[in-house]
Amino acid sequence: MAYTTFSTIPNDAMKEPMFFGNPVNVARYDQQRFAVFEMLIEKQLSFFWRPEEIDVSRDRIDFLNLPDHEQHIFISNLKYQTLLDSIQGRSPNIALLPIVSLPELETWIETWSFSETIHSRSYTHILRNLFTEPAEIFEDIVTNVEIQKRATDISGYYDALIHATQFMQLHGLEQNDIDYINLKNQVEKLNLRAIKKKLYLCICSVNALEAIRFYVSFACSFAFAERDLLEGNAKIIKLIARDEALHLNSTQQILNLWADGKDDPEMAEIAIECFAEGREIFLKAAQQEKDWAKYLFKDGSMIGLNEQILSQYVEYISNLRMQAIGYAPEFEVKSNPIPWINNWLVSDNVQVAPQETEISSYLVGQIDSKVDSEDLSTFEL
Amino acid sequence: MSKKITVNGIEYPLDSEKTLLENLEAQAIKQEYHCRDGHCGVCRCRLISGQADYINYPMAYLRDGEVLTCCSKSKQDIVLATY
Repeated sequence: MAYTTFSTIPNDAMKEPMFFGNPVNVARYDQQRFAVFEMLIEKQLSFFWRPEEIDVSRDRIDFLNLPDHEQHIFISNLKYQTLLDSIQGRSPNIALLPIVSLPELETWIETWSFSETIHSRSYTHILRNLFTEPAEIFEDIVTNVEIQKRATDISGYYDALIHATQFMQLHGLEQNDIDYINLKNQVEKLNLRAIKKKLYLCICSVNALEAIRFYVSFACSFAFAERDLLEGNAKIIKLIARDEALHLNSTQQILNLWADGKDDPEMAEIAIECFAEGREIFLKAAQQEKDWAKYLFKDGSMIGLNEQILSQYVEYISNLRMQAIGYAPEFEVKSNPIPWINNWLVSDNVQVAPQETEISSYLVGQIDSKVDSEDLSTFEL
Repeated sequence: MSKKITVNGIEYPLDSEKTLLENLEAQAIKQEYHCRDGHCGVCRCRLISGQADYINYPMAYLRDGEVLTCCSKSKQDIVLATY
């Protein structure tokens, strides 16, 4: 049961489940049990960017000219995103790598988590530009009650899984000589199925995080940029949103592969067993995001967005995301209350050159880079 | 004879050069999208009949009878239903 960095069991990785099979040994990508994770790695690598590529110097002037309540909206969102990416920059690695059994999935988890560290670095880049002394902002993230409310919810599922996995790897699962004391200080009978259940709930919670938790702050950042304000920040958030769509894809894949019985049959049973609990996790996340919208707009709305519109958007995007993992849509709302946001979420018109940050119309007159082979039909060699 | 795209029971002309999503948009049919690159899965529709030819690999998880409209085209009559 102990973790090994190179298992010498000559297993066939094409027959392993995603998690809790044999430990991974050879990092080979010539064959994949689930090719999509290899594609996600390729895509994520092709998306690589660095925050320093984006000029945020104009944002400082824009920020200083904002009224107090809009500064509150902007800074609170940055704090919250900093928290989310602090968690995501480490947790998939610590929680999932010790139990993963497929080389392509192992590398995807590392690539995923790495890209989250780029996001964390960009918040520092943005804040360092806005404040001469950003320490106060960072320090508030740990103590801010509104942010804390959700932090424990997100990290709780990770922590429970990590704790149980560590016990299993240290003591095995017999529990004859030593009891498993869980994080609530209670004796808990641990078996492999119980840990798999913790894994399932953890992925449900991460999926909800990637699916909806980021989108309230995305909407605010893009709403500022629609008014030609804080455009450097919006460029960065656009790149982050593009990455998050990939991360979300992977958690949806994992949940759907389990539920459709294409991976570990025991996980398929757990998916049925935990169907209601998975839904609860999602709905709780949606409610917390609506509460967050209330906190953001407590001193006033901003042009184009208010608490009501943002709450409707949370409901709308929750419906989309729930359908993607096999749940019935929960909320009444049928159409997108802020359709302009989709233009910010398109993956291929992301531009990062500094001069384009300041001229938002730069894309309008650009040359179409798509070449049809028909266009070359009259060419002769 | 021109081909048809039928969405939620209503027939429209099909432009086989455009993606299915662009066809839907050309007819002002409400269809959500995000990435337009086949990885976010937001433009997923139900494929009732016909065949979708993918121009990019659809990376989003698709169940049987689902189609990703942003990265597929069709040369034949096709019947879709939006979610």
